[in-house]
Amino acid sequence: MNGPLALFKWQALFKEWNVFAEGLAITALVALFGLLLAIAIGILFGVFGASKSRGARLLSRFYVEFFQNTPLVIQVFFLYNGLPNVGLVIPVFLVGILGVGMYHGAYIAEVIRAGILAVPKGQKDAAFSQGFTYWGEMRHIVLPQAKLVVLPPMTNQAVFLIKNTSVMALVAGGDLMYCADSWSSSNLFYGPAFIVTGILYFLLCFPLAQLARKLEKKAEAHK
Amino acid sequence: MKKRIFLTMIAALVAGIFCIAATAADAPDIKVIKDRGVLKVGTKVDVPKFGYRDPKTNKIEGFEIDIARAIAKKILGNPDKIDLQGVSAKTRGPLLDNGELDIVAATFTITEERKLSFNFSEPYFTDGVGLLVKKKNGYTSLKSLNGKKIGVAQSATTKKAIQEEATKQGIKVDFLEFATYPEIKAALDSGRIDCFSVDTAILLGYVDASTVLLADRFSPQTYGIASKKSNTALAALINKTVLDMKKSGELDKIMKKWKLK
Repeated sequence: MNGPLALFKWQALFKEWNVFAEGLAITALVALFGLLLAIAIGILFGVFGASKSRGARLLSRFYVEFFQNTPLVIQVFFLYNGLPNVGLVIPVFLVGILGVGMYHGAYIAEVIRAGILAVPKGQKDAAFSQGFTYWGEMRHIVLPQAKLVVLPPMTNQAVFLIKNTSVMALVAGGDLMYCADSWSSSNLFYGPAFIVTGILYFLLCFPLAQLARKLEKKAEAHK
Repeated sequence: MKKRIFLTMIAALVAGIFCIAATAADAPDIKVIKDRGVLKVGTKVDVPKFGYRDPKTNKIEGFEIDIARAIAKKILGNPDKIDLQGVSAKTRGPLLDNGELDIVAATFTITEERKLSFNFSEPYFTDGVGLLVKKKNGYTSLKSLNGKKIGVAQSATTKKAIQEEATKQGIKVDFLEFATYPEIKAALDSGRIDCFSVDTAILLGYVDASTVLLADRFSPQTYGIASKKSNTALAALINKTVLDMKKSGELDKIMKKWKLK
């Protein structure tokens, strides 16, 4: 058989499977650290966005609108090729983490802001009356309650984040997509390469998507 | 009367043979193109002299477009019956496989491995891999790039060529691959890579005030016209056209026209 999926192309792929394994490892690591960064940024700007201070709200708005309304590809390209022009050369692994972390941080901030606003005002008043500071109130009263509302959409963001790490392929990031591109474009066995790559991304994302569903059900039951 | 029937039969037979001959001349893969009345060609749009979309006229022009026109003339009798589509190193293979394109003339280097997937014509151009570096870094040869990063194009044969040469010279270089030439140039400008390496003819389009093309040339690369693996009649016809053009001096003439010789 000849064609994009010819048998010998599959054999070539399974012989050189380590190329894809290396890419998968980079993708998984960037996704993990990127997610941690995104959650940190998301909590900070999410709380700012729901705060009483106009300045903090404005700052959060500014951050969220900027990152939500410009393409991730351009942000990553800027980190990679723009910053070196002012003498700042960030390793490409870090470019990946910063890229997806800051981008999804903006989305997670919105998720968290909505979660905080969903906590009844009486809870906050009660915390205040008990002498909690603002961050104490957030940490012990508001965020634990917001968590229930926030977790399902947040898990979805994690899935998007994993998939979006593929923009690293654009800047020679060594991730799964880059490895698949690189391998398949020199020998032109693109058929098996992209099918296997698709399956690998699916295996990374599907369990998370399932978790999101489960959490959603739990949140429903809690209401 | 009998004679008449006989003659009619002969006539019918002759007509029949002509009919068969006519259909035999048109294998299905060529008939499709003739029925459509236009040859669908994939070319580069970002490689000056080979396949380049002139920003002023918005027309794609170059050496490879002229070859494609000669092939269109051969099949359809009219060099203007071509439909050009810009391709990148990554899209040209799939576009042939799914039938979007009949042929690809896009600085497509012939390799044994690639011949497994596509038909390639005899080479119409031979080019070495070159090295483009920033003037201010003072590199003079591949040897001086020991331990440095070299940017190459995905789907190009450059990486292998340089790797072999580096091993021979006993030096070590790292490779970063990018999808398009402008991306490699951007990475060179920002200092992400120390050297931009692809086929020399392509590099010539990227030499500017801050960069210099080194004298080193590695492993000659040959370009061929690619077609879908199963379209064997088309491949034979393309091959014949290229060989005829070589013999008649037409290929040289086009090369001169584009100042490639």
